[in-house]
Amino acid sequence: MAYSDRVIDHYNNPRNVGTLDKTAQEVGTGLVGAPECGDVMRLQIRVNPETQVIEEAKFKTFGCGSAIASSSLATEWIKGRTVDDALAIKNTDIVKELSLPPVKIHCSVLAEDAIRAAIGDWKKKNGVGESAPAAAAAAH
Amino acid sequence: MTNALDSAIPVACWSCHVAQNDVTLFCPHCSKIQPAAAGDFFQVFGLRRAFRIDPEELEREFHRLSRKLHPDRFARASEREREWSLADTALLNDAYRTLKDPLYRTEYLLKLEGAEIGEQHAGKNRQDPSRVPPDLLEEVFDLNLQLEEMREAKAAGEADPVLQANLKEAKTKFEGLVEAVDEELRRQWKVWDEGNAQAREPAKTAMVRLIDRRRYLSNLVRDVTETLGA
Repeated sequence: MAYSDRVIDHYNNPRNVGTLDKTAQEVGTGLVGAPECGDVMRLQIRVNPETQVIEEAKFKTFGCGSAIASSSLATEWIKGRTVDDALAIKNTDIVKELSLPPVKIHCSVLAEDAIRAAIGDWKKKNGVGESAPAAAAAAH
Repeated sequence: MTNALDSAIPVACWSCHVAQNDVTLFCPHCSKIQPAAAGDFFQVFGLRRAFRIDPEELEREFHRLSRKLHPDRFARASEREREWSLADTALLNDAYRTLKDPLYRTEYLLKLEGAEIGEQHAGKNRQDPSRVPPDLLEEVFDLNLQLEEMREAKAAGEADPVLQANLKEAKTKFEGLVEAVDEELRRQWKVWDEGNAQAREPAKTAMVRLIDRRRYLSNLVRDVTETLGA
């Protein structure tokens, strides 16, 4: 099975690889894994407390090329969005953008889960509830 | 794969025409070879579906059937029977390889029983967080970081004894976790083998999760072993 050019691009030049201080108040950390393939993915966001805009996003993924590309793309997409906006990103968007084959769809699911987990962690830390249920519902 | 069995339509022996309910390599009535049918591997050995089997009995039966299927015995048989003997041998070998390995056997029987395991279910059960071992995520992530560091140090021709000691310790720990999974698997085997339909369902679910967890853990042990040994 051949990887698409977009996957190879993200795999060779992953965007936003790195670490944010997970103890910082404005940082949310999402750690997710897929037991089927052993992939593990950490995605972190730094959120502006005033605007709720994700100003920085970093990831570190141990897994296949599609998993790395999915998380790389996810960090690119969520940067500059508000947290509620970021929650609207669906794994199918990632599948489309990267032309992932059916057997690799779970990589995109993992990336979406990582976004949710990071935002969830940030919300918990900062006592933010589901402020925009309409947006959250639309994301499902 | 199991459709032929589920239909429960008795197949008649081509030679003596006595109906057979089970898929067998030889007619129990007239002992003539039968074409390899789409049966399950347990039936090839005349076994009931079970997670626990007697490995010695399996091996004995494998050798007995292998001898019976030997090409020499079909030298003067019809062409049809010669072809069947080859197909039956292939089926017998597949069945033996699968059933003698406890892990292959477990996965095989779970699939026969309609469970989805491995990449088959990847991404489908996303609402079920219990599939992911969250208790291990942090450790798995840290271990991967250390492995990466170790590989980089090696590539640079450096040896980091502290890192190496850490990884050895991690390897022992994860091997222990694999052993714990195997122990729990054996417990669930018993529950399923001895239970009724009601007891079997939760045992099946538990085993699918254990297999997932085991795959995760054994991949880690493999990676650590490779990095330490290379």
